[in-house]
Amino acid sequence: MHIMAQAGTVSAMSKAKSHHWWRDVAGIALIAAFGAAGYWLFPDNLALLTRIVAVALLVLSIDLVVGYCGVATLGQAALFGAGAYAAGIACVNGVTEPMTLIAIGAVAGAAAGLLMGGIMLRAHGLAQLVLSIAIVQLFHEAANKASAYTGGSDGLAGLMVSPLFGVFEFDLWGRTAYLMGLTLLLLVFIALKFVVASPFGMLCRGIKQDPVRIRAMGSFVFPVLLKMFVISGAVAGAGGALAAISTQVVGLDSVSFELSANALVMLVLGGLGTLYGALIGTVIFMGFEHMVSAINPFHWMTMVGALLIAVVLAAPGGLSSLVERISASRGGKS
Amino acid sequence: MRTILSIAIDALAFGMVLFIICIGLSLTMGLMRVVNLAHGAFAMIAGYIASYAARDLGLGYAAAIFLAITGTIVISIPLERFLYRRIYGSSELTQVLMTIGLTFCVIGITNYFMGPTLKTIPLPQALSQPVDVGFRTIAAHRLFVIACGAAVAVGLWYLIERTSFGIKLRATVDNSAMSDALGVRTQVVYAISFAIAIGLAALGGVVGAEFLPIEPYYALRYMVTFLVVVSVGGAGSIPGALIACLVLGLVDTTGRYLMPDFGNFFFYAAVILIVCLFPRGFLGRAQ
Amino acid sequence: MTAGKKILGAAVGAVLMGSGSAYADTIKVGIIGPFSGPFALQGKNFQAGVEAYRALNGKSVKGHDVEIIYRDLPAANPAQSRALAQELVVKEKVQYLGGVYFTPDAMAITPLLSQANTPLVIFNAATSAIMNTSPLVVRTSFTTAQTTNPLGKIAFDEGVRKAITVVSDYGPGVDAENAFKKAFEAAGGEVVESVRMPMNTTDFSPIMQRVRDSGATGLFAFLPSGPPTLGFVKAFNETGLKRAGTKFYAPGDLTQESDLPALGEAAEGLKTSFHYSVAHDSPENKRFVEAAVKAIGSADQLSFPAVGAYDGMHVIYKMIEATDGKQDAQKAVDAVKGLSWTSPRGPVRIEPETRHITQNIYLREVAKNADGKYINKEIQTFPDQKDPGLATQ
Repeated sequence: MHIMAQAGTVSAMSKAKSHHWWRDVAGIALIAAFGAAGYWLFPDNLALLTRIVAVALLVLSIDLVVGYCGVATLGQAALFGAGAYAAGIACVNGVTEPMTLIAIGAVAGAAAGLLMGGIMLRAHGLAQLVLSIAIVQLFHEAANKASAYTGGSDGLAGLMVSPLFGVFEFDLWGRTAYLMGLTLLLLVFIALKFVVASPFGMLCRGIKQDPVRIRAMGSFVFPVLLKMFVISGAVAGAGGALAAISTQVVGLDSVSFELSANALVMLVLGGLGTLYGALIGTVIFMGFEHMVSAINPFHWMTMVGALLIAVVLAAPGGLSSLVERISASRGGKS
Repeated sequence: MRTILSIAIDALAFGMVLFIICIGLSLTMGLMRVVNLAHGAFAMIAGYIASYAARDLGLGYAAAIFLAITGTIVISIPLERFLYRRIYGSSELTQVLMTIGLTFCVIGITNYFMGPTLKTIPLPQALSQPVDVGFRTIAAHRLFVIACGAAVAVGLWYLIERTSFGIKLRATVDNSAMSDALGVRTQVVYAISFAIAIGLAALGGVVGAEFLPIEPYYALRYMVTFLVVVSVGGAGSIPGALIACLVLGLVDTTGRYLMPDFGNFFFYAAVILIVCLFPRGFLGRAQ
Repeated sequence: MTAGKKILGAAVGAVLMGSGSAYADTIKVGIIGPFSGPFALQGKNFQAGVEAYRALNGKSVKGHDVEIIYRDLPAANPAQSRALAQELVVKEKVQYLGGVYFTPDAMAITPLLSQANTPLVIFNAATSAIMNTSPLVVRTSFTTAQTTNPLGKIAFDEGVRKAITVVSDYGPGVDAENAFKKAFEAAGGEVVESVRMPMNTTDFSPIMQRVRDSGATGLFAFLPSGPPTLGFVKAFNETGLKRAGTKFYAPGDLTQESDLPALGEAAEGLKTSFHYSVAHDSPENKRFVEAAVKAIGSADQLSFPAVGAYDGMHVIYKMIEATDGKQDAQKAVDAVKGLSWTSPRGPVRIEPETRHITQNIYLREVAKNADGKYINKEIQTFPDQKDPGLATQ
């Protein structure tokens, strides 16, 4: 089973690469602009926006393994949760500086990524997917069992995070949390753009398209993919730590299969293998869900389902492919 | 010894319920290459129909099962025609997106029309009695489920291995373009296999309702279990699915008896172990 | 805004309101609950309780219109819970928060309350510890320890000397296990084994096998309301434990009224302890049930979260009355400390120190009523039960 979508040919890639840099600068500027616009346009919904940013980090991390390496995973929340619980436990035990907590989350996520990648990369296709499910369920079970440290199903509460730089408090309005999250997201995004454009990133894409040929070229597949898993774990872990800091509670939902599946749905909705798709998918899915569930808290699920079906019918490659198709048809005409 | 036998028979019944529901999914995933995450949703729809037929219309259990299977297949036909046909051959993740969307819709609509309460399917007198099987009493219903599972396994094996439809199906799966050229109407073959898969989901949903009670969230609640069972068995393999259901049923039941506190650990550790030993599932087709 | 515009606005407002008081304002109450997803039934009961209260007691207090804003939180998810609470407070400008089904969700909201100057009235979330996290929390539901506590003595009095506990492996399950163990051992019994089963267990016969092997004559069980209870009760009957005379005790979550039509005959005779039975015989309850059934649409769906919501609304209305529509969370909470009234469940009181509800706990038995419907029939009352979890702190 190959989870890959239609991959671009090598020539298309190199052609794209020549004007890659200005497109990426424009793209990052656009994300920053959108983030700032969110801050000014929805000043009363910053907690929601922060949540979206945290989940966006998780979805980005899935894109790294699914979109760039072709590894199917329905268990990425294990890495997100590892970051969230590590930051939460550290915070309860007296490490309250927010930047340190994010770093702790990233390290824990990377460690969990190493473990998870080490197991998952032994299998392929459907079996791999099932391994990812089994791993996230085991993490969930472990977090539930270790209630002395994690609070179990009651949640790990009482995280008292000290103000950012000693000045900006994490308060009711959530400005600090959002701006910190947005900055984190931008930095991670820029870093990941470098990662996926590097020779290492190219190698990952090559493995996704044809692992046999890469092996024949003399590369080792396993360590390359494992490295990507660790990076992806760090990103997801940072997202988890952000969620823990801004919520002040870590619940079992942060290591759940449901969160993993939702995040994968968001990624596919936005489109694989571009990093932009991950952001678009997250914002559209969570924004739409928030909107319809506020309009009708009882029966909104049907609307979300209809959205997913509509996207598959209208844009099978995800929403970002739709954008590309439109811009391509425009470009063709001019 | 009594305890071991007792555990074994519980495991067998539970495994068979899983088998009846999952084998349909295994067929769609292995033979038609569609990751149909809405499979559980169809089992749930059947449960609702059966519950309505038996409780509100007062029909017998057999009639309810029959109505549920035909009703669910009838509902699935337009879905196959207008939705699924578009995703045959798409990437798996696109299929996941569409079928999860469909599942959300079914849950929302069911919740709206049927309400969020549990629905039961009243069993006939003969099936609701505990039966003494020598070493313990067991619900007659469990024996019935075991029989159903065995019948489904044999029937399917016969259909696929011994009938002309089975030959066409296997040909279509192996090389759809070639069989088309040879005069097999592949669209029809797909439509029929889809209907069979849905019918099996429906049967499983109804006879398994004592284990997996019918309520709107059914469609998502057991999705993981179904997916895991199919993958462990190897998508598309009937004996594989049967072995997977029995082994996982046994691990699950024994684990919950011996160390209930760590029941889930047992189950998923076994899954990881099996998948590492048999990367294609027990009897998965080479791809 | 200039003075002229203000006057214009007031004039328009007065015209729109017609004959109503020109000073009437709208007080918003935000209710967070599981209105969709696996726990949709419980959320629906929240809504039914709220709407029943408004139908019986009016939609305004002292001339202040009360508006309810519902927000859906399908499963335990603290991050989403906090985001919803923040939106309700900051954007919708609610003066009161209510609802909350799960403990971690409540834990995520409580740190916001003092800054938001908003009280939180919990309609369900049943862990003792929530009450200590903020002085602005009031709870009108129950705690698992509170509803479980009387069962230990009941079991002993009915001749059980050796008992086994079987609970779902999560916070409330562990609370229930501890509460029963403590009460049962205090009465003189012995808990021979404690089993915690994973939340997603669907086949309970291996567990029943274990119960049988333990040699206990009494079984104490805790499962959250919902689909698994059906399998549990059926397994208890089918494995012959019921016929063998094993006594079965559980808090009332196991036999919530909305599950009874499905449980049916299988549950007949089961003894559970709880704070509320829909069949409670009192004029207050008759009025409540009539209004709540109308709100929820079907008598089969009404269950205990509705009464938590109903009494929660009572507390919120009293708070509005005390503050006369001004936003003052501390004053509002102070006003209901020690408040006592007759709820549909019986006499209740908000304990001033803990802000948790003190109430009767009833021993009930599943039985058929005159119409042939299964009900939780109250057979014994334990008056004035506090939360033992908070009382010991």
